[in-house]
Amino acid sequence: MSTRLKIFLPFGLLILSVLVIPVCVMLISSLQNMDGGLSFSNYHQIFFSRYYRGAIYNSISISLITSVVSLVVSMVGAWGLTKLSLSTKNILITVFNMSSSFAGVPLAFSLIILFGNAGVFKAITSTLHIHDALNIYSVTGMTFAYTFFEIPLGIMFFFPVLDSLSKEWFEVSDVLGASKTFLIGKVIFPIILPNIVEVFVLLFANAMGTYETAYALMGNNLVSIPTVIGSLINGELIANVPLACAFATLFTVIMTIIVWLGNRVTNIKGRRIS
Amino acid sequence: MEKHIDRIIAKIVITLISIYLAAPIVATIMYSFAKSWVNTILPDGWTFEWYLQLITNSDFLSALARSIILGFVTTIIAMCCFLPVVFYANVYDESIKAKLRFITVLPFTIPGIVLVTGLVRVYANLPVPQMLVLLLAISLLSLPVTYQALDNAFIAHDFRAMFEQALILGDSPIKAFVKVVIPNIRVGMFIAMLLTFTNAFGEYVLTNIILGGNYETLKIYMYRLMQSNGQASSVLTTVYFFFLAIISIIMIAIMKWQGSKKAEEVEDTKKL
Repeated sequence: MSTRLKIFLPFGLLILSVLVIPVCVMLISSLQNMDGGLSFSNYHQIFFSRYYRGAIYNSISISLITSVVSLVVSMVGAWGLTKLSLSTKNILITVFNMSSSFAGVPLAFSLIILFGNAGVFKAITSTLHIHDALNIYSVTGMTFAYTFFEIPLGIMFFFPVLDSLSKEWFEVSDVLGASKTFLIGKVIFPIILPNIVEVFVLLFANAMGTYETAYALMGNNLVSIPTVIGSLINGELIANVPLACAFATLFTVIMTIIVWLGNRVTNIKGRRIS
Repeated sequence: MEKHIDRIIAKIVITLISIYLAAPIVATIMYSFAKSWVNTILPDGWTFEWYLQLITNSDFLSALARSIILGFVTTIIAMCCFLPVVFYANVYDESIKAKLRFITVLPFTIPGIVLVTGLVRVYANLPVPQMLVLLLAISLLSLPVTYQALDNAFIAHDFRAMFEQALILGDSPIKAFVKVVIPNIRVGMFIAMLLTFTNAFGEYVLTNIILGGNYETLKIYMYRLMQSNGQASSVLTTVYFFFLAIISIIMIAIMKWQGSKKAEEVEDTKKL
């Protein structure tokens, strides 16, 4: 017992001090008003203020669009990856891994060079006299920016799934004379559907929680859940930590439910197959 | 024939995706060597001037040193906390692994910006060194990556037999662990440390909010430069990119080396 305790003590202390206690305190303090009394005023404020509702709406719409687009692209990408030779595969996986860790301040800066007001893309469109509709400093621009780390992330999630599909299925369906659309529609798609749901949930959650890229590109001008939380903690004028706690609690509760549901879908399907 | 077409389509798809993802990075690298590049398709000329300026800048050097320190200390904390647990879970009690699975979804349900809200609420007004809070919090955020990499290190060998034999021969548990287990997982451990280090080295959200301007790491410095000097910032971004690239190359090399070693082992067993 004492060895067990020794093994788990550092880990337990860490989890307790920087995860369990802060999350619990966050939960409690989301129910406190500025004077410390117990009330739902923070939640009331979130749902009845047009500004905060806008933040929720922006976050959800950016995350939804960017994760659907990235899901489709990364599925095709992961399929492409399975067709390549082993060494190319390994190199590309590491490269995709790297480009997803390039997210944040460096990515924001790179996008400003490419698509900013004095950027390359603007120069090209103005020389060719094309109207340039893309404004990187906008909700649309943000949706576009997020794909740069969502796509590699999606590929890394999907690749193991597609790579583990049995080669025999393809051969059997070939021998039995099934068409490719039949194979994909009736065999492959139903099998990987739970994985698609799972990857979608993770991409969505990841986009919802993205602070660094959004903040680096637009500062606090973009009104989304993470940037609102950031300015509520950090802002000199509008600092209101209890309200930030309410927002963060809302976020965690919603994301936990979504991720849990996503996991359940995967588990039920997985059991049925096995 | 159809397979051949498939491969060509696959190659085209991968190339297009790679170009899309690489475009911002390539533009940044070009910008860092450009004399000036405003409203033109290609830069006006090339120069190394911005690199010299950055490398000799004392702000840059101290920010780099701070990020390296952050990376090292976090890696040590993460290893001390997670290695024993992953070892125990793999060797003695596999059922713990199911309980530890919550770790893998942690960054999605509680991302940095949410965690920092709780941390600020609890620790901002306590007489605790904020640096310690930051280091512990970054270790926690790196947990999913570290855990996965360490877990992979324990595949293949029968560590329980090894460990218990060492105990029977009279080693203390810690000595047995250091002498017998660690040498066998050193490659996996190295990868885990590398990933943890990279994570902490590039951390931004927690550092910025918990310590603010008091501890300017590379990323915070990068953000400050971005507001004031585009050229210098592009150099820094390029340097940061090459840092990530070097780490990736090291990992590819290790994986290749391990792959060839495994293939050799298979060959050897075939001969027997």
